Amino acid sequence: MSISRRNFVIATSVAAGGSMVLSACSSGGAGGAGTSGGGAAGTDKFAAVSIGTKQDSTGPAPEIPGAKKGGTIRPIGPQDFSHLDPQRIYFTWNSELANLYIRSLTGYRIDGGAMKLVGDLATDTGTMSDGGKTWTFTLKDGLKWEDGSELTVDDVRHGIERGFASFTTEGATYLQAALTGTNDFRSVYKGPYDGKHLDSVVTDTAKKTITFHLKTARPDLNWTLAMQSYGAVPVKHDTKEKYDKDPVSCGPYRLSQHSVDKSLTMVRNPHWDPATDPIRNAYPDSFVFEFGPEALQATDRMIADSGTDQYAVMAYSGVPAERIQKVLATPELKSRSVDGLLTGLYYYAINCKRITDVRVRQALNYAWPLQQIRTIYGGPSAGDYATTILGPDMAGRVKFDIYGKLTKPQGDTAKAKALLKAAGKLGQKIIYTYPQGSNEDLEKTKVVIANALTEAGFDPVVKPVESTSYYDQVQQIDNSFDVMWFGWSPDWPTGYTMLQPLFDGRTIANGANNVSQLKASWVDAAIDKAAAITDPTKANAAWAALDKELMEKEAPIIPETYSRRFYLYGSKVGGTEYDPLNGSFVLYKLFAKS
Amino acid sequence: MTSPMTSATAPQAAADSGAVPPTRSAPARGGTGRSPGQIAWLRFRRDRTGLVSAVVVVLFFVAGIGAPLIAKVYGKDPYTTYGQNGTGLLNEFGFPIRPNGGISGDFWFGVEPQLGRDVLTLLLYGIRNSLLIATVTTVLVTLLGIVVGLTAGYLGGRIDSLVGRVIDILLAFPSTLFFIALWPVMISVLVPPDENTPTWLTVVSLISVMTAFGWAPIARLLRGEVLALREREFVESAKVTGASPARIIFRELLPNLWTPILIQATLALPMYVTTEAALAFLGVGLSDPTPDWGVMIQRGAQVYQNDITYMLFPGLSMVIFVIAFNLLGDSVRDALDPKTRR
Repeated sequence: MSISRRNFVIATSVAAGGSMVLSACSSGGAGGAGTSGGGAAGTDKFAAVSIGTKQDSTGPAPEIPGAKKGGTIRPIGPQDFSHLDPQRIYFTWNSELANLYIRSLTGYRIDGGAMKLVGDLATDTGTMSDGGKTWTFTLKDGLKWEDGSELTVDDVRHGIERGFASFTTEGATYLQAALTGTNDFRSVYKGPYDGKHLDSVVTDTAKKTITFHLKTARPDLNWTLAMQSYGAVPVKHDTKEKYDKDPVSCGPYRLSQHSVDKSLTMVRNPHWDPATDPIRNAYPDSFVFEFGPEALQATDRMIADSGTDQYAVMAYSGVPAERIQKVLATPELKSRSVDGLLTGLYYYAINCKRITDVRVRQALNYAWPLQQIRTIYGGPSAGDYATTILGPDMAGRVKFDIYGKLTKPQGDTAKAKALLKAAGKLGQKIIYTYPQGSNEDLEKTKVVIANALTEAGFDPVVKPVESTSYYDQVQQIDNSFDVMWFGWSPDWPTGYTMLQPLFDGRTIANGANNVSQLKASWVDAAIDKAAAITDPTKANAAWAALDKELMEKEAPIIPETYSRRFYLYGSKVGGTEYDPLNGSFVLYKLFAKS
Repeated sequence: MTSPMTSATAPQAAADSGAVPPTRSAPARGGTGRSPGQIAWLRFRRDRTGLVSAVVVVLFFVAGIGAPLIAKVYGKDPYTTYGQNGTGLLNEFGFPIRPNGGISGDFWFGVEPQLGRDVLTLLLYGIRNSLLIATVTTVLVTLLGIVVGLTAGYLGGRIDSLVGRVIDILLAFPSTLFFIALWPVMISVLVPPDENTPTWLTVVSLISVMTAFGWAPIARLLRGEVLALREREFVESAKVTGASPARIIFRELLPNLWTPILIQATLALPMYVTTEAALAFLGVGLSDPTPDWGVMIQRGAQVYQNDITYMLFPGLSMVIFVIAFNLLGDSVRDALDPKTRR
């Protein structure tokens, strides 16, 4: 199956000196509850991931109380966006900007932290038939490109077909694989530039419909299509490789100026009709991005809050650990902040090929010192304890705590030792590895991990791997590691995107993401079964059940934390909301106060 | 890993000290019959700064050597994560709850942020490890530098030019990068994949690499000195009287070179403490849970906004040690060679 490169983003964001991860405090009860209370603060808030109705998919987006039009918002980020071409966008920080000018068939309406999948270009979230093998979407009326020409079903198809072109390798590949039935989809179809179209995508210009005939059933295709990688591109204005420099907008803003690594300006697109858009508000007249300031520098500017910085927001680098105590202790600063959890999960993969006894894997789960680790990360402000594989923002997720990590986050070494004794594996050698040189905190966590493992009757061996070759090494199937630090961020909030790539035994290969190398036929069967369920509610329930069963019967990983991020905004910025999927501000909801 | 050259002062010092050499045959002035060594010791004893620095330096070494003993009396060790094990020491951000970095009757220098170890024992063991590595390296570097520098300078010719090129290469070599690249390979060859890297291996490889790349500056400096000295009359006369090369090198040349050697060595020792810390920061030196002075300072620089005390103790002790060691070096030189006194 397709490889999600988002996990590398989750990893590199830690790499930035730990600054992006060590970020926040929950807005709720984390202040006083030091020991175990922090876990609950974010979870209930985000429990609502749902699919919207046709009514929800109809624009305009609900007004934000007190918002007014006009002004300029000035986001600050450490580096420029890597791609502007929709088919080359995968990383979340690019998606954050892409929401301003790229529209896909579906999209997320974010309201008070709850995500609802709605039709964006399409009138609804699509009609599925043939057990998830056929999907039909109908386009809305009044959709226009920034030059005033009409956005047609052919443009939508063109955007999808561009995903096969030789220069769009950076984007997502789920749909391409489903349409052709193979991961080597470029050998089947080479993109739209030699005049051929995909047979499996059928458009009807008169009825404004586009139909996908998939080789493999994908009942969650409507979620997949919300990715910017499947955004529409005008057939007439496609400049191929050069499109990355000057994309054509169908959203509320268009690109007006871009000096690489310095600044980027988005101005209003007069041809965007709010009545077609249930997601975006678009109050400010323009967005001016500034690139360069690192997280610490940006934070200090936000704290100073002077001049045009009053209209600034921290675009995608969170408050670093050095300032977090100051921000949380100052009420004025705390009131100018948003925070939330990432959908992704940090965890420790247990190599099931080497640690074959499930009791040893369970003992590791019992012994793991989550509280000590999180204290090193910066306490409850750094994230919530993870007990499940699916994060709190995943559709249908059910919270459970099999190994008592919420009641005893410091680890239950006595129980682990008893389990180890029962298995006859006392003194079992555990080779733990982590990427060295990118994150100072991991140099500290290895100490508490080794201490806890020793106390639980293991024989810990710490083998750090240099950070640039870390993933290459742990993704080798014959590696010599028992427990590996890892992270995974889903591409859309359903169980499939977490459980299939990480635990499907048939995907085990060098470079694959099943780092645990869990090879259990019942898991493979359960994945196939859940992936084929067409009713979203039942499918989500099946994924949640598999989540629990996996941790109970196989314990292939040790879940660590759902990371929290914490962002500051200027005193004259309103409509601030956290986007859990991209882990940043929802840009199109911001407005400038006078 | 190149030590700063003191060539600006050293040649002059050496030229002036030309009168000292013919050691024991020095005519007794005023009939008291003191050797140059005795004279230097007398001068040193009168130098108050020198004496105080010497006491401070000795104290550091004593503290380092006696660290386990002190820790035993004090009742803490540098490996237990007190702040993580018990409550009431670290707050939820991982920083000490009590003011001044958590200083209390139990923890005299406070507790470490994040891991919550005892700062006093951590510092003592850190000083112990850092000084051990730096001292051994300095001694080895100096010995190697003396041997190579004297040989090349005295023999001259082909050997000199060969040694000269080797020194050129070493000085131009990006030793830190080399070490970072070589380290993981070396470890994977020497240590089986299912064993922890032993600390002694880290220490030995640190010392050997720093020595391998560290002797070049001192050797080049001494070679230059010897080139100037070997043409002097007292060497000529020694040759004429039939002294062996060994006698000329050890009895005639070496006594004139103690000044630059001492200066180089006193500068090198604190430098190796910091070099070793820099390597540790890059992931190739000592790492947690092994205590290290330099690593403590680097960590302190990262958290000083929230916990200045943690930077204060290792930082201040490092400043005191480096200043004392350099002042001691100055005093020793002054004692040996009073003409260069400022």
